[in-house]
Amino acid sequence: MGARISRATLLRWAPFLVLIALVVFFTILNPSFFSLRNAARIALAATPALMVAIGVTFILIMGSIDLSMEGAVSVTAVLFATVFLQLGGTLASWAWIALPAAVLAGAVFGMLNGWLHVKLQIPSFMASLAFGFVGTGLALMMTGGDRIRVEDELFRGLLTFRFAGFPLMVWLAFGFVLIAWFIQTRTTIGRNLYAVGGGEELAHASGLNTRRVRVIGFTLAGAFYALGALMAVARIGIAETATGNNFMFISITSAVVGGVALWGGIGGVWNAVVGVLIVNVINNGMVVIGLPDYLQDGVLGLMVILAVVLSTDRRLVSFVK
Amino acid sequence: MMDFQRIKPHLPWLTLVVLTAFVGIANPTFLAPSNLLMLAGDIVPLFIMALGLTFAIYIGGIDLSAQSMANLVTVIASIYLASMGAFVAVLCVLAGFLFGTLSGVITTKLKVPSFISTLAIGGVAFSLAQWLSGQKALFMDASQRDASFGWMIGRTGIIPNELFLAAALLLLCLFIERRTVLGRALKAVGAGELAAAASGLNVARYKILAFALSGALAAIAGLLFSVKLSGGAPTIANGFLLPAIVAVLVGGTPLTGGVGGVLNTVIGTLIVAVIRASMLYFEIDATRQQMVFGLVLIAAIALTIDRSKLRVVK
Repeated sequence: MGARISRATLLRWAPFLVLIALVVFFTILNPSFFSLRNAARIALAATPALMVAIGVTFILIMGSIDLSMEGAVSVTAVLFATVFLQLGGTLASWAWIALPAAVLAGAVFGMLNGWLHVKLQIPSFMASLAFGFVGTGLALMMTGGDRIRVEDELFRGLLTFRFAGFPLMVWLAFGFVLIAWFIQTRTTIGRNLYAVGGGEELAHASGLNTRRVRVIGFTLAGAFYALGALMAVARIGIAETATGNNFMFISITSAVVGGVALWGGIGGVWNAVVGVLIVNVINNGMVVIGLPDYLQDGVLGLMVILAVVLSTDRRLVSFVK
Repeated sequence: MMDFQRIKPHLPWLTLVVLTAFVGIANPTFLAPSNLLMLAGDIVPLFIMALGLTFAIYIGGIDLSAQSMANLVTVIASIYLASMGAFVAVLCVLAGFLFGTLSGVITTKLKVPSFISTLAIGGVAFSLAQWLSGQKALFMDASQRDASFGWMIGRTGIIPNELFLAAALLLLCLFIERRTVLGRALKAVGAGELAAAASGLNVARYKILAFALSGALAAIAGLLFSVKLSGGAPTIANGFLLPAIVAVLVGGTPLTGGVGGVLNTVIGTLIVAVIRASMLYFEIDATRQQMVFGLVLIAAIALTIDRSKLRVVK
């Protein structure tokens, strides 16, 4: 154990250090940033995006990309709300089945997405982009463009019930992060995702059914998109075609800012967590310090570039696309 | 027996012909020349944006700032048309070129993936557009617009004037792709960046130029769009980005780079146009169009992409 921190360790923790630096930065500019209330606000805003970012992280680990999350979130949110209201509209009845049903639907959606990509040999970028349209389209077809209100107090308890200052859904999300972490580090599926991302041909040559791994990866991602959809509905109490809007870019950006590489094999669940927090701290911080709203997209963009630059090991990367 | 390998490169336009015939058989009025020309004229702003994106995608990157760039240019054009007249076009293209260059520099020098860098630069362009416009919709003076850019819109005979602009830009891009050092260099970079760098090519410079071209063409798309609408706003071109990317991909320029090109994008844009128009002819309910679009798209992409140059499908 030397006193000097190795370069590798520093880079590994770089996204986390960026997060700390941002918190300190905004706290200096406005001390009210650093409060339990504001922390809860950031956590709440981050929760749905966090679930989606974790889902897409599994895909990025494989070196693929998934752009279907907006469709997946919309269609599972609408499906959940429809089934939930049909079965009684309160968690105290059989309507609770809508919750696991939505997650299952998300998994099936992801499985179909991965299956199309693998079976038709279409690169994931295109397959998932097109399949995302199908998802958004299905949601639109089911709602006819209307909003579905979910007003059950028990379900909205995810938002309204607080423990130690944070809404229930934040704690629940934390639980799902642990599950995702478990899948990533302690299961064959998790290891296989890294094997495919680290070098697909090698993984294939060593006897791994890489196509099956890919489909499983997309299925897993779909289930997490559905969790994101449930949190999004719990947060605003409405399910509609637009529920999925903006999740695509924000979730992928978050994962990359947190240190997940777009070329596969690098990063994991905790990187997604840190990345989502970085993006949400920036978003919240800009409001707290009173930055004019027209500047916020630009400043977010510049800070994202800065965060990625700080946490990329330029010695290892020969070129980027 | 027909050799499938020999048909493969022709799949994009065959797909287009089949789709067009399919709609035409169901409804022959679709095939009327004036109708087809009008359809083509309407899609020109999208086509120009897709043309630019082709360069970014051809080198294995992506330009997600194209839509924000077009938005920004509608604002710039609307504000400065009064003082600069037709020269505002120079300002617009220059702005696009500079923003594209910036994306390229961030991608190549700072090693930020283009997915992130162009998205971020798009955010900067959006902020600038909001600031310049005061977050309001802007309008062009109709007579000033007609004096400077009237030639872009309207029609000559039955041919929409936009098509002349599209043809000129297509020829320019085709020339860049086929007859210039830049075009050859981009092909080399797309086919294998490491090999290109190893053989002494200044890869970074050509990649930056590809993004700059993408930005400049997005700017022209924005200019045409603002002329057509006689105004501008920071969100007016929203909804263009994904269809433009789709047009490039469905034409047969996959994101892996080095395959396809600007001619493919012509076919791809027309495929998108025909699919969209077919919704009207088959009287598909508005709430179902998005889903049908997605399904037809998957079929079209599955048909058009040339997998022989993809080693592993990621």
